[in-house]
Amino acid sequence: MAEGVLSPGVNLEAFSQAIAAIQALRSSVTRVFDCLKDGMRNKETLEGREKSFVSCFQESLHSVSRDLSELERLSNLVGKPSENHPLHNSGLLSLDPVQDKTPLYSQLLQAYKWSNKLQYHAGLASGLLNQQSLKRSANQMGVSAKRRPKAQPTTLVLPPQYVDDVISRIDRMFPEMSIHLSRPNGTSAMLLVTLGKVLKVIVVMRSLFIDRTIVKGYNEDVHTEDGKVDIWSKSNYQVFQKVTDHATTALLHYQLPQMPDVVVRSFMTWLRSYIKLFQAPCQRCGKFLQDGLPPTWRDFRTLEAFHDTCRQ
Amino acid sequence: MCFLPRREREASIYKSLLQIDLKDYIVSAEPPSPSQGLVQPYVQTSGTMGVTCVSQMPVAEGKSVQQTVEILTRKLELLGAEKQGTFCVDCETYHTAASTMGNQGQAGKLMYVMHNSEYPLSCFALFENGPCLIADANFDVLMVKLKGFFQNAKANKIESRGTRYQYCDFLVKVGTVTMGPSARGISVEVEYCPCVVANDCWNLLMEFMQSFMGNHTPGIPSVFGNKHDSIYSPGDTMAQYMELFNKIRKQQQVPVAGIR
Ligand SMILES: [Zn+2]
Repeated sequence: MAEGVLSPGVNLEAFSQAIAAIQALRSSVTRVFDCLKDGMRNKETLEGREKSFVSCFQESLHSVSRDLSELERLSNLVGKPSENHPLHNSGLLSLDPVQDKTPLYSQLLQAYKWSNKLQYHAGLASGLLNQQSLKRSANQMGVSAKRRPKAQPTTLVLPPQYVDDVISRIDRMFPEMSIHLSRPNGTSAMLLVTLGKVLKVIVVMRSLFIDRTIVKGYNEDVHTEDGKVDIWSKSNYQVFQKVTDHATTALLHYQLPQMPDVVVRSFMTWLRSYIKLFQAPCQRCGKFLQDGLPPTWRDFRTLEAFHDTCRQ
Repeated sequence: MCFLPRREREASIYKSLLQIDLKDYIVSAEPPSPSQGLVQPYVQTSGTMGVTCVSQMPVAEGKSVQQTVEILTRKLELLGAEKQGTFCVDCETYHTAASTMGNQGQAGKLMYVMHNSEYPLSCFALFENGPCLIADANFDVLMVKLKGFFQNAKANKIESRGTRYQYCDFLVKVGTVTMGPSARGISVEVEYCPCVVANDCWNLLMEFMQSFMGNHTPGIPSVFGNKHDSIYSPGDTMAQYMELFNKIRKQQQVPVAGIR
């Protein structure tokens, strides 16, 4: 089986001779070192000892050079394994007769494919991320990855008073938006944002970072039976489930670890554009409805309304 | 003043509310006895209603009411709407009895008492262009007791029954309007559940209605006009049904071609 695959590129006869030549070369090299190790001995006169050592050394060096040139001659005869194999020499693994026991080759192929895909997607992702001005990763600002974990805790221990100030300033900024801040579970703030008579948003904060956000209808209950803000259940309406998804995307988009207050303000500005959720037609197709849903997407820069499937 | 009806299950009597809102019309109603204890205020339940448009679909030429309803529901099903049970809205007419009229020459006012299967525990009492009262279903019993003041015009009882469909966040109810034994027309109710301000979503609602009603899509309902940006309530839907039923009652005199 193996011969069948090998024969076009490799001369088997020369191959076995070459292996023999390698063995010969190794033993002649060993002889050289043996000779050096033994040194001059077993001769009566100094001159005799020197002479016999030099001739012995010379002879073993000659045999090394002879064996080496023999090996070189044979290696030309062996021929080259097919070079157009995509995996080069590792392709020879496929010739391993114990394939079934050690599926090394198929695993190698799989790993190769994955690494190719990974590289491709990483390329695309880095292209896209570089277009964003505000981003979660601070790498572009020259902050190394090693420093990032250290940078975060400083903004995580902002005093609650500072968080209150930032939120109340945002609250005053937008008259049609009312923000109610509470701290039901220790220091982390929870915001209940009511936007006109359109929707309500529950925003769970960790210091000034927004952890989680849920959008519900204006007529939906945002409290659990025991009167606490319900941060887990989703809206009953498809339109607000969609807006929740988009708001979560927005949280990933608006990120600037060094200026968390700017992030919260940007997010709220973006959220405010939903005041016209039911009134704004899609900026691409001009319609109000697509598959029963109004334009639920708002562009992060222009705040224009689009259907989920109409945005670029 | 208009309270929101209840969709929840537990039944309790809110006589005090009846007393407040009917004090102009009701001579005496029992006050809530203290032993009865809990008289809870009406609360806005999480399942309040979205903006709704009620309209009449004309019977297709050469078709019966039944056939036209079938054509309409088939269009809805093709759109992807899912059947979700049935619905019923009924309406009884009451005349103010002569004994209560101070001025003999004045024509009696009409009061409409309506029920909606969407709010099985509530009863709606409406005057034309007037206030809308939302009471418990026991209100019917009260009306029987008040027959000295309000007389039921039984022959005028009208109702709409049909199938309820859901499509995305829309609820569509296509009903056959009957008066006595005969079918008089078709009602189409479209509710956009997530929105509570009528004028916010009218364009969206209209675009949706066009998708299955075509050129029979209605114009903006008159109740939307005086809502501005206030919250749409189930009473507004009942007012639209009342208008629709009044319109259909008037069509009664003119025989409509195609109705069997
Ligand atoms: Zn679109």
